[in-house]
Amino acid sequence: MKRLLPYLVAGSAAFAAAACQEKLASPAECPEFCPGGGLQVQDILIDADVGGDTTYSGYIGYQQMEALLVSNSPDAGQARAFLTFPKRSDSVVVDGSTVFLDVDSIAVTLELVGRDSLMPGLKLFLYRIPPDLDSTTTVSQLDAAMTEANFIDSVIVHDTLRRGTVRAVLLPEKFVRLASLAESDSGRLGMAVRVTANEPTGARFGAVGSTLAGAPNLIRYGRVNVPDTSRVKQTSGTLAERTNYAIDIPPEPLPGRLTIGGKRASRSQIRFTIPRALRDSGVVLRATLELTPVGPIRGVPHDPATMLIRTILADLGPKSPVAVDFAAEGKVVAGETEVVRTEVLSVVTSWFGFGNPRPTTIFLGLSPEAGTFVLPEFETSRSATGRPRLRITYALPTRPGHP
Amino acid sequence: MTRALRAALALSLLAGAVEAQSSQFGIRGLGIPLRPLSVRAKATGGGFGLFDAESAINPAAIAGARFVTASFQTVQSWSRSENPVGSANVQDNRYPGVVVSGPIGGTNLALAFSVNGYTDRNFVLGSTDTLVLRDVAVEVHDTLRSQGGISDLRVAVGWRRSNALGFGVGFHLITGSNRIDSRRAFSDSKYLGASEAFTYSYLGFGLSGGVTLRVGTALTLGGVVRFDEKLRVDRDTSRVGTTDLPTTVSGGARLQVGPRVLLSGSALFRNWSVADKDLIDQGGIGSVNITEFNAGAEILTDVRRPSRRPIRLGIHHATLPFPFQVGEKTSETGVSIGTGMRFVGDRAGVDLALQRIWRKGATGFSETATLLTVGVSLRP
Repeated sequence: MKRLLPYLVAGSAAFAAAACQEKLASPAECPEFCPGGGLQVQDILIDADVGGDTTYSGYIGYQQMEALLVSNSPDAGQARAFLTFPKRSDSVVVDGSTVFLDVDSIAVTLELVGRDSLMPGLKLFLYRIPPDLDSTTTVSQLDAAMTEANFIDSVIVHDTLRRGTVRAVLLPEKFVRLASLAESDSGRLGMAVRVTANEPTGARFGAVGSTLAGAPNLIRYGRVNVPDTSRVKQTSGTLAERTNYAIDIPPEPLPGRLTIGGKRASRSQIRFTIPRALRDSGVVLRATLELTPVGPIRGVPHDPATMLIRTILADLGPKSPVAVDFAAEGKVVAGETEVVRTEVLSVVTSWFGFGNPRPTTIFLGLSPEAGTFVLPEFETSRSATGRPRLRITYALPTRPGHP
Repeated sequence: MTRALRAALALSLLAGAVEAQSSQFGIRGLGIPLRPLSVRAKATGGGFGLFDAESAINPAAIAGARFVTASFQTVQSWSRSENPVGSANVQDNRYPGVVVSGPIGGTNLALAFSVNGYTDRNFVLGSTDTLVLRDVAVEVHDTLRSQGGISDLRVAVGWRRSNALGFGVGFHLITGSNRIDSRRAFSDSKYLGASEAFTYSYLGFGLSGGVTLRVGTALTLGGVVRFDEKLRVDRDTSRVGTTDLPTTVSGGARLQVGPRVLLSGSALFRNWSVADKDLIDQGGIGSVNITEFNAGAEILTDVRRPSRRPIRLGIHHATLPFPFQVGEKTSETGVSIGTGMRFVGDRAGVDLALQRIWRKGATGFSETATLLTVGVSLRP
């Protein structure tokens, strides 16, 4: 037995090494020689339920706007931004002591978040305006306030700058342009912004509620009288407390079209009826939402927006809770006239499954909300042509493997 | 007897470990039929199966059992499959039959429990096709995987009427499952892959009766008849039908030629055609009757210690019951060689069998396989 043991161990090891490998695939000629065919793949086009689509507006206020729009383009809509800086303190705290800041220069910064990336010669113009303007302010009112007398400064935006800080620096002789227009302003400073370029264009900047970039900032550079010479140079920044913009396109969506985006943050709901048998047994392989623009999509060229497509948990109209886990998105560009096709596989998949009660409704939104010039307007379910529709490619089970 | 019962309990836990052999010839019907042979019987082409207590063919073969014996085996196969669309090398490892047998003390009876494969349906098929989706040609890759098969759990009782004559009866539980997994992947990433999976499960019963008769000093005859009833077939929780199972008739002879050579041969007939209608009703191609012929020899290298490295040789030929197409004939031919040894006072043993098998169908399907089987026997 002892003599056999080494042979047994070696033999077992060799056998085990060979036995650990497993490879089972064989080529097949289907369906002739397969026990049942592969999954049956089919395509279906489903139009939106007639009258089941609606546009709702007013989802966010100026505090949540993602960007400030500034434009001199009729296609995008004439837009002016306006903002308010709170009263600035004349002193800063250094090492726990409040000391007077002797300002020698002031910078106004705006965070560029979007522009026509191919448009050269972009230039910003800053004006001093009353600080108490609100969301009812119009472009005309702002233009009237932007006079030569209220001009603060202008700044050229470098042609290669896509995103980042745009800075206007004022030396002491221009400080007076930053003074409050009226005593009643209590030291608050209102400011308006407009743009020019080689051709009509638009640009977008960070707002108070922006998640894309910081709000406008007013930074004062100066010196303080302290013994420590390394602490003499100090800066003091003041973020805008309110930001907003006016744009000369109708604030409310026009009837007879599905609108998403705009300053009123419109969202649209589209309802579909999916055959129950398909929902119960089908497996979605691909789903595409097809939306037909009513005309060229408004916006600034080369500065696209993102269409957000979600499904909802319950159909409560404009306040339907969306299911964030099942979302899709697609790019929307200005000037588009062709059908906008967006892959919505995860959204449609969430409707499928035996007895799945989830509403077969799509909720459309635009990102950045109230922060883009792009304003898609699509045909509705009542349109004679171009109504919203879903193209679903799906598979039905074939139960292969029969004897 | 207590040992035998304990072993039976252990066997019931191993019920899923049946013989399997991935083969494209297992695609049709209930799969590729398996032969419940011991390693020794495999090495002799199956010829000794009717007379071998460690094989689960003839319940009368256990009548002469003098010791409680537990045996189990593992098989590694390397095969190459060819068909009209290509070829592939396949290899797998499985754990085929387990048999525990032993005498019932104070009687001429013996009892055996066994788990063996009845049919095997392990295969993976891969294919490529092109579909036109949304007016664009899209390449798709299909994979159909089948795992599982049907097991044969047997309880057998053998009665040694005399030193020359033995009878046996076996009760069979035919059960198992077959997991089907179908997947389709698209070359275009815009399409999500799809899959479906479900399980066929099977349940049936059978009864077998056998006899062994020694004629003179050199010749032993053996025979067995087995009746299997309807197999209930469920897909997940739904009954999809029943399948008539065949009756098996087999007979053979074993001949001692001198002190060193033992020859054996057997033939088997199984009327699988009874399942034809049921299989067609379930979407299959159908089935045909089969025959099987086995012959083998065991040559002792040490007459005083016959269990010490004997040389075993065998050959078998069988037709297969489930053709690829209606009217087609499929068959299997194999040659084998093996040996074995016992140690620790013959309380433990190892047997080896190396088989080379050729399978072929009429429509360009063929397969060659090399199977290495290692078996271990223990006498507690």
